[in-house]
Amino acid sequence: MIQLSGVSKRFNGKRGVVALDNVWFHVPRGEMVSIVGPSGSGKSTLLNLIGGLDRPTSGEIEIDGERLGGLSDDNLTRLRRDKIGFIFQFFNLLPTLTCLENVALPLHLRGWPRRKINERSKELLALVGLDRRLDHLPDELSGGERQRVAIARALSIYPPILLADEPTGNLDTQTGWEILKLIHDLRQQLGATVLIVTHDRAVAESCPRTIALRDGRIAGDSRQ
Amino acid sequence: MILLRLITWPYVRKHLTRTALTLTGILLGVAVFVGMHTANQSVLFAFQRTIDRIAGATQLQVTAGETGFDESTLERVQAVPGVRAAAPVIQAVANIGIRGEGNLLILGVDMLGDRSLRDYDLEEDDEGAVDDPLVFLARADSLIITRPFALRNHLTVNSTLVLDTVDGPKRFTVRGIMRSGGLASAFGGNLAVMDIYAAQRMFGRGRKFDRIDLAVNEGERIDAVQVRIERTLGPGFQVRTPGSRGREIESIAAVYRLSANITSLFALFIGMFIIYNTFAIAVTQRRAEIGILRALGATQSQIRRLFLTESAVAGAIGSVAGAAAGILLARALAKYIGGLLSEVYGIGERAEEVSANPNLIGLAVTAGVVTSIAAAFLPARNAARIDPVKALQKGKYESLSEGENRARRSAAVISALSAFACLGLGGRGVLLYTGYLLTLIAALLLTPAAGLWLSRLIRPVLRRVRPVEGALAADSLIQTPRRTSGTIAALMLSVSLVIALGGMARASYASIVQWMNIALNPDLFVSATQNLTARSYRFPPEVGERIQNVPGVAQVQLVRDARVLYRGRPVMLVAADIAGLVSRARLPAIEGDTDRMYREAAAGKGVIVSDNLAALENLHAGDILELAAPAGMLRLPIAGVVIDYSDQQGSILIERTLFRRYWNDDTVDLFRVYLEPRASESAVRQEILNRVGSTTRLFVLTNREVRDYILRLTDQWFSLTYVQIAVAVLVAVLGIVNTLTVSITDRRRELGVLKAVGALRRQIRGAVWIESLTIGFLGLMLGLALGAFQLFYALEISRRDIAGIRLEYQYPLKIALALAPVMLGAALVAALGPAETAVRGSLVEALEYE
Amino acid sequence: MNKRRSVSAALAATALMAPVLFGQDGRQIIAESQRRTRSKSQRYEGALQVMDAKRHVSAKRWNFIRLGSFGDSKSLLRFTEPPEVRGVALLIYNHPDRASDQWMWRPEIGRDQRIALQDRSTRFFGTDFSFEDLEERDVNQFDYKVLGDEAVDGAKCWKIDSTPKQSKSSQYTHSLLWIRQDNYVLARLEGYGRNGLARRVLYRDLQNVQGVWTARTIEVFDARKNSRTILTLDKLEYNVPLSESDFTLQALRRGS
Repeated sequence: MIQLSGVSKRFNGKRGVVALDNVWFHVPRGEMVSIVGPSGSGKSTLLNLIGGLDRPTSGEIEIDGERLGGLSDDNLTRLRRDKIGFIFQFFNLLPTLTCLENVALPLHLRGWPRRKINERSKELLALVGLDRRLDHLPDELSGGERQRVAIARALSIYPPILLADEPTGNLDTQTGWEILKLIHDLRQQLGATVLIVTHDRAVAESCPRTIALRDGRIAGDSRQ
Repeated sequence: MILLRLITWPYVRKHLTRTALTLTGILLGVAVFVGMHTANQSVLFAFQRTIDRIAGATQLQVTAGETGFDESTLERVQAVPGVRAAAPVIQAVANIGIRGEGNLLILGVDMLGDRSLRDYDLEEDDEGAVDDPLVFLARADSLIITRPFALRNHLTVNSTLVLDTVDGPKRFTVRGIMRSGGLASAFGGNLAVMDIYAAQRMFGRGRKFDRIDLAVNEGERIDAVQVRIERTLGPGFQVRTPGSRGREIESIAAVYRLSANITSLFALFIGMFIIYNTFAIAVTQRRAEIGILRALGATQSQIRRLFLTESAVAGAIGSVAGAAAGILLARALAKYIGGLLSEVYGIGERAEEVSANPNLIGLAVTAGVVTSIAAAFLPARNAARIDPVKALQKGKYESLSEGENRARRSAAVISALSAFACLGLGGRGVLLYTGYLLTLIAALLLTPAAGLWLSRLIRPVLRRVRPVEGALAADSLIQTPRRTSGTIAALMLSVSLVIALGGMARASYASIVQWMNIALNPDLFVSATQNLTARSYRFPPEVGERIQNVPGVAQVQLVRDARVLYRGRPVMLVAADIAGLVSRARLPAIEGDTDRMYREAAAGKGVIVSDNLAALENLHAGDILELAAPAGMLRLPIAGVVIDYSDQQGSILIERTLFRRYWNDDTVDLFRVYLEPRASESAVRQEILNRVGSTTRLFVLTNREVRDYILRLTDQWFSLTYVQIAVAVLVAVLGIVNTLTVSITDRRRELGVLKAVGALRRQIRGAVWIESLTIGFLGLMLGLALGAFQLFYALEISRRDIAGIRLEYQYPLKIALALAPVMLGAALVAALGPAETAVRGSLVEALEYE
Repeated sequence: MNKRRSVSAALAATALMAPVLFGQDGRQIIAESQRRTRSKSQRYEGALQVMDAKRHVSAKRWNFIRLGSFGDSKSLLRFTEPPEVRGVALLIYNHPDRASDQWMWRPEIGRDQRIALQDRSTRFFGTDFSFEDLEERDVNQFDYKVLGDEAVDGAKCWKIDSTPKQSKSSQYTHSLLWIRQDNYVLARLEGYGRNGLARRVLYRDLQNVQGVWTARTIEVFDARKNSRTILTLDKLEYNVPLSESDFTLQALRRGS
């Protein structure tokens, strides 16, 4: 499902920092992988590259058999919105939109008909247990609830791939566990491939496979 | 100031585009102010210089408005004790058929006496062909030209030059060339001197002089002689120093000057909002920085000073650049104004050089800096009041406090009520302008609240149209009133200005067309000059009989137009056969009874005045109008007031016989020709040209041509307002660009999220565009509303203070409709750059942006 | 009116004066000089040569007729050459008690024009004469003082200073006249303005024509312009038959 072949990423800062250096790995369909490593090891960069938010300096990334390198910006975006859902550490909800509107966002961008969007959004919010908070603004929700909305948004099109960047990083332990459990449950329901970037050992251990990064290279790849 | 270098400079460097945009706001305002005034002053200066240079040693000049006076006046002036030398002058502008030369100012003088007033400083001819004063005097075709004109056209002594005279084109011979400088540099060197009697003939002046120039005996007081001459000649004559004669032209240019002032004031005003906007944004964006500074021990006044100094520096840079741009602009404008004055008022002038008046530039730069500082005052105060602790915390800081909103609203209500009160108190003069100002203030104070309210109102609509981009655009406006309200205010002002000016233009148009339908109904107009406003050439009345004899002509009406002074105001005196006139073109009286009005006027027992003159001088039917004429005081009751657009300064219609008696002048400026029912317009026109035009210089204009000409003049007048519109729109666009540039920075994360969840490039672009369109829309809506008030005040001011013309209040719906695409288009254009920046922005950085 | 006598200047001084010694009173000398030029009428053809400061020469001719005597005469002067100026004429009515009336006629313009007093100091049609020089001076309008004897061209003369009285407006602040003691003919005249010498007139080629001593050549030097005009009198006749009707405005306009 996800194939990285010799992917490197350099940032053109003054010193030319190497964020990723010749990374190879493959994630088959339906697998749940955690990516761990200390700060600056290249975890988030890796996730951004896989999600098509950024492009590698060299190497090739294949998503569902499609090579990202050859795609234009807009085609990359299309691939992203058809196949990938994002969950961010800081939720990245739009503060002026209601929960329902936030969840509906990707669907609107794809030009779905309104009725269908409405149905799907409500269905998703019910899925994450927020069917009573449809018209609330993000500011009116707790951190955990916000992340649930973010997850609902990421799942809005039932993407085959779910990318989560420190999904529990901004939550207390209890809420973090609930969110993690939600992700696990959803994966099983939907059969999605999930990549979770985390520096939380417990979160990593909950995943069947863990890839460890250090200084931009793969330091370990283990299955439980 | 060290803070300025450490804090401001890096910020400016980072936001170079926006800094430049901010400066442009002030720059434009100052440029327009300097440009329009410099051009105006240059033209007036050129007028005055021409007057001065032609005046030579002249200490006093005797005129009778534009009408001229009998030759015998000369001897009466010469006989006044204390007069050393008095010489008659005919001064008129002739069009010469040389490409690029335009007009030639003809000075008809009496060579015998004139040299004691003017130094002709003739070149000695090296060929030995001495320029002989006797030859100059003896030959009617003698001409003295200037060296620059001679050089430009390769003319030498004995060269010939064809000039149009009333009797058709005539060949003139150069009998002398004046050295450059002095008299030769008047009218940009396009000056020719001929014998006064030759000039009388050339321009159809009969036995009249336009003016007498004179010098007083040594030891005599000029004012004493002036009084003596005035007493000798009576009230129909003006005795002035050459220096004061330029003031009449200035008074004519007053309307233009007012228009220039309003335009630049608005440009500056709008510029002020851009600056306010920029600083308001800067203060919010630099909140954390200010917090750190405060935490490190900067006092409130230091912070305030920092921002005020920034704005002063920005204002100074913008103003100086604006002044420079204004001088460039003046070059283009001077030509335009010169053309306007010559077309509308029939006085031609060439402004050869544009000279910047240091006082004007000083004033403009001061105004620019003061505007800039004033605009930054509130943001600077807000910056100083920032709580260092709160500033360092992240979170919402944009929205206006409820208290601030309430204070604004109450101030707005008070302003609006005061404005109403001003109107209620009569609304004249100062009250009128105060009311106007208060209305503007109320509108400006209400802008943020109104903007917010409108944004909330249209959010569902936008959301319906574009669920994501639309809702977000509206939210962006709702969330950040500080960022947008300045721009919306600027837009509102621009739009309302356009509505006001457009409304006036349309109302004038409608009225003028209506007037033309009644007053200008002859089939043909026979004029001595190609444009109807220049009155250089005049016909002898016999030409009228010759036109009457042309087959197909049913009626010929003789009209004489001349500018005369009425209570110091240069008004247009129209002398015509009123009985004939009213049989064809009958304007209804708006004061007095129409039938009686014409009956009395035709009998020479009354005069008819235009409504604008009546309004400006507070005249009413039945009042006695006193008009000083060379042959004595003309005292007649006002038989009635009609709506008449003949002249911006007002017009007075009198019976032709009265004019003949009081001005002893039977020349004609214009023949109004009516055709027999079945006569062909073109055939009669040709026949007039053949029969009369062969021996008399004349132009036959059809009704259509005259109407087009008048509408073109009106257009030309209003084309000044197009400059204003252009400036207003430009400044407004700058404001939008400014706001959007900030907006896309502020919305980086939001746009990043959109991209991350699958927004395509066009969708991102669309989001920025919609925000811009929304700003444009809000500005447009508020502007259209404010425009209704502005138009009201514009009409009132023009009626009561400028032209006295009564115009019907009619909201210019068509213009409003036309404005929508213009403003929204401008908003879209303004969004192009920022949208691309938004599309190109890095996604990863955007998402990490906090 | 006959009591009033005037002395001619310039053109008018073309009359000849008889050699009678009359005493030392300046006014009487001038009066006698004037008396001796008396004639009923006069006619001549004048040839003018104007030499400007650069020695460019232009030539003109005119016909001159006069009726009546000093102080109460009428003259008409009409240009005949060059062709461009032919027909331009000047009519002068001299009055014993006030400044003369002068009218100019320009055939091409078709207008006669009174020449204002104020304009009399201007040059007469590009010659070195001024309009004022063309009028006859009334003896009573000036104060005289004999300054002594001086020879002009070898002839003994009285040198007389003449200053216009308050009532008389003149471009000259004072003039110097040289009158020959042998025949009372004006030999030389210098007019002074505020800035010194303005004009110098020399009378030469003295001839007795019909009993009147007349200078046939008159040279005018304009000191300010450094240019000179030489007038030669051809076909000079006195007491020719002329009538008042030859000196009307109609006659002026008629041309010749």
